[in-house]
Amino acid sequence: MTIVIDALQYLGYVLIFPGFLFCFLAGMLLCGIDRKLVAKMQKRVGPPILQPFYDFFKLCGKETIIPAAAERNTFMLSPLVGLAALVVIQLFIPVFGFTAFSGIGDIIVILYLLLVPALAMILGGAASGSPYAGVGLSREMVTIISCELPLVLVLLAVAKTVGGAIGTGLCFSLSQIAEYQEVNGSLITKISMLPAAAAMLLLIPGETGSHPFDAAEAETEICEGLLAEYSGAPLGVFKLSHAVKMLSLTSLFVALFLGGLGTGILALDAVLLFLLCALITAASISFVHAFTARLKIEQIFKYYWTVVSLLAAVSLALAWYGL
Amino acid sequence: MDFPFMKEAISQLFSKSSCAMYPAVPSQAAPGYRGRIEYHPELCISCGMCERVCSGNAITRSVENLEDGRDKITLTFNLGSCTFCATCADFCTKHAIEFTGDYHMVATKEEDLLVSGSFIKAAPKKKAPAAAKTEGCQTPAGKESGVKPRDDGKPVNDPARCVYCTLCAKKCPAQALTVDRAAKTWTLDEDKCVSCGTCAQVCPKNCIIM
Amino acid sequence: MFKRLIAERTGKSPWLFHINAGSCNGCDIELVSVLTPRYDAERLGFKLAGSPRHADIVVVTGPVTKQSLPRVLRAISQVPEPRCIVTMGSCPQSGNVFRGSYSIAGPLSKYVPVDVDVAGCAPKPEAIIDGLTLAAKILKEKRGRMN
Repeated sequence: MTIVIDALQYLGYVLIFPGFLFCFLAGMLLCGIDRKLVAKMQKRVGPPILQPFYDFFKLCGKETIIPAAAERNTFMLSPLVGLAALVVIQLFIPVFGFTAFSGIGDIIVILYLLLVPALAMILGGAASGSPYAGVGLSREMVTIISCELPLVLVLLAVAKTVGGAIGTGLCFSLSQIAEYQEVNGSLITKISMLPAAAAMLLLIPGETGSHPFDAAEAETEICEGLLAEYSGAPLGVFKLSHAVKMLSLTSLFVALFLGGLGTGILALDAVLLFLLCALITAASISFVHAFTARLKIEQIFKYYWTVVSLLAAVSLALAWYGL
Repeated sequence: MDFPFMKEAISQLFSKSSCAMYPAVPSQAAPGYRGRIEYHPELCISCGMCERVCSGNAITRSVENLEDGRDKITLTFNLGSCTFCATCADFCTKHAIEFTGDYHMVATKEEDLLVSGSFIKAAPKKKAPAAAKTEGCQTPAGKESGVKPRDDGKPVNDPARCVYCTLCAKKCPAQALTVDRAAKTWTLDEDKCVSCGTCAQVCPKNCIIM
Repeated sequence: MFKRLIAERTGKSPWLFHINAGSCNGCDIELVSVLTPRYDAERLGFKLAGSPRHADIVVVTGPVTKQSLPRVLRAISQVPEPRCIVTMGSCPQSGNVFRGSYSIAGPLSKYVPVDVDVAGCAPKPEAIIDGLTLAAKILKEKRGRMN
């Protein structure tokens, strides 16, 4: 009997909260807020906040063309793989006190799972057989590599700070990090964590492929790169993945640096998490989008491996000496 | 790295957008905007000048012979072929073509982009063929000419001032004028003339009187 | 319910794909000006897509030269249904001042069914917004017929 209840509970986690339904609604809303804010900052009125929903439903109603040169199954399945990976990430990220799945090394799992959506896009693009996707593919790979080093450094710095405090060396468990912040206050109040938080803010647009770092999906030069051949529902799923990725990364930021603000009531916590996510989206994605032009791929690489990595490394060094 | 619009992006977040909100707030075209053509058939004399100067071949003129000997003339302006250069309106001596400020030229069928108008032209008065050739004058230079405007609205040449540059004959849309430089003759074919006044307008010496 | 949701939303998010078929660049610039802060077509859901596969509305400018004709037709055929074709400016409708030239294959309506014509040389941005909203309405009707 308890097995059935447990199974139902986990099914609820996966499908409703913090799984698929929450990801869909919150991610799309975040995307809408982002577009509205960018428009506002550029003196425009901007689309309605529900515009990403309209786009998604419209794309679901469009014809899906599979190019003759494409590998059919990979082409159709890779959007779903990417979306599934993102939903799984969301299951691992604690909503303040509440965690759907927790383990000893869930930061490592998240690090790997964050690669899956990008890899799914690369696979899908490669399967589409378009030369534009080929160019986008190589750029997407470079973007992943450029983001990976600073992301690992940031996560190490957090792990070292929490691990040093609770005496386990390195702490790779997000639920333990959340518990630590419940007791000792948010990590962002620590001086050693400030550079890491800044690095993470700068990382979010790169990881999501948002504006100045969207060389892989440059619509004006390489026809949206990897997505060039996608149409209809699979394209809608990719757009949804992009929105959910924004939610995943911003809620990861909240879990890492802004923990301990929770009220203990799950519904309120969820709303609070969404509001904080929206705030971080506004600061890191929309604001940067509003006044920058697209960077070249080697500039992205240079920027992440020098400026952002340096910030994260400073934080790691400070954490290592217990500051 | 230098971000020139960073401050402006933040300040814009809290101020009003510069958007014109077009479909909700109607907008007027600027004065002098050349939009949809309005054709006044009651002023038109069917000289055909507009058709000749049109660069986009947007103007077509069709003549339909009525039973009573008169002609029904229809001018059709295809806005889907128009460059809105307004050369036709400039050349129209009767100001029968007007460019309005209406810019809503959106159509789902090609017929919606046609502006057309028609009028019935009175049959030309039949005169003896000999009378038509009498206008050619030859007067020694310096002598005072007593040229009076005709009452039927057709042009008269003042030979005292005319230099026989042939510009009027070149510009005449109805090919009603024949000017011979060598023989110093200016001849009007009254049957062809539509009294448009183009010859008087282009004459560099202002010696054609209407 | 899902079907109705789709049918209702189709007209609200029309993505544009712009094809220059030998245009003099006048109409192209006017189309871009529709997306600027002054007119901001994004508030009506319009967005410039990078690939014809993502588009709902194809905007063609230029008199369709012989060189561009096969490319134009190929790009239009790549747009998934329901789609809407808008000709912008006088050129794709008739050839305009280029009519009769040895290098012109137009008008476009000889080759594909054109849904909306926006006249003008070049059209005013307001007229373009008019045309695009009309195209979005037609798009919604076409989607309704697909069910």
